[in-house]
Amino acid sequence: MSTYVYGITAGERAQLPEGLTGIGEPPRPVRLVTEAGLAAVVSDCPEELRPKRRDLLAHQQVLSEAGRKSSVLPMRFGSVCESDEDVSRVLTEHAEHYRSKLEQLSGRVEYNVKAVHHEDAVLHLVLAENAELRALAEANRKAGGGTYEERLRFGEQVAEAVRSREAWDADLVRDTLEPLAEGCRPGPESGGWFLNLSFLVAESASERLLTTADRLRRAHPQLDLRVNGPLPPYSFVDT
Amino acid sequence: MSVVPAQQSGGAGGTSGLYDVLELVLDRGLVIDAFVRVSLVGIEILKIDVRVVVASVDTYLRFAEACNRLDLEAGPHRSAGLPDLVGEVTESGARGKSKGALSGAAQSISDAFQQARGQGESSGTRRSSSRSKKEESE
Repeated sequence: MSTYVYGITAGERAQLPEGLTGIGEPPRPVRLVTEAGLAAVVSDCPEELRPKRRDLLAHQQVLSEAGRKSSVLPMRFGSVCESDEDVSRVLTEHAEHYRSKLEQLSGRVEYNVKAVHHEDAVLHLVLAENAELRALAEANRKAGGGTYEERLRFGEQVAEAVRSREAWDADLVRDTLEPLAEGCRPGPESGGWFLNLSFLVAESASERLLTTADRLRRAHPQLDLRVNGPLPPYSFVDT
Repeated sequence: MSVVPAQQSGGAGGTSGLYDVLELVLDRGLVIDAFVRVSLVGIEILKIDVRVVVASVDTYLRFAEACNRLDLEAGPHRSAGLPDLVGEVTESGARGKSKGALSGAAQSISDAFQQARGQGESSGTRRSSSRSKKEESE
């Protein structure tokens, strides 16, 4: 039976909530493998492990629970070991490194921030800012919408204006939030967002990050800002 | 306008905010060489409501249409409202009134956009297929 590893935490204070379960169907009970002053948060690994949404959520939830009382180094999804003994061996071999990493991240959490535009608001904004675009819109309207080519050309110019607005707003969000954080990393490349950043913040600074994000939303109604956290420091463990 | 809660706990299940986090679970986090990582072929996650990438002919036409509808709906207000503005009101009043016209325009474009978006969503199959292609290539 192989062992699935969720994360690594400091051993002496490691505690799991009673009855905590993790990945698999049925969900496998979560336990600790303690060694060298460290504790790996593990469970048995199901025979067929695939990155299903259910299991990804379970991975995140186990880390969330395990990290409630003390900091935890989150593993990437899908880390599997032959046995608990192998997990112990890895903990022993790299104990110093993991301990210093835990020390370094103690009391810190990750917030992931993604931004898109509310498209109605951003279209209104770029038209309001650009007389040339307004004139083009008017000309097309008078021509009953314009020809296919005219509409295409006009739409392309609008899209161009929206893109520059995206760059501008990405800078705005980053420059506003970064001073509140101890670290900032780009999020994974995924479709859709014009901004995807993870910030490492002291737990005591979380409130400030959230209120600042709120202020940005109010001041710039075109911004659809999604703030997720507090999270285990996924983006800050691999250095 | 959709309001996103300022804080979504990473521990709560089933919120759309949590799905925003799954990519971190998959792509970030500690990797230890001694541990095997499961194959990530066949990922079926992150069916997030992804915005259409702003770089396609579809988008250009959609934008053009949205702007065109805005003008059509705002047109009558403008021709009827403008003389009043000039003739009757003080400067501060005019500012108030033109602001009203502006937000009226914003409303029109919003409505037009909702429609355009509704049409876009009915062709969502194509979008998700191009997305899964991207996932396969990752």
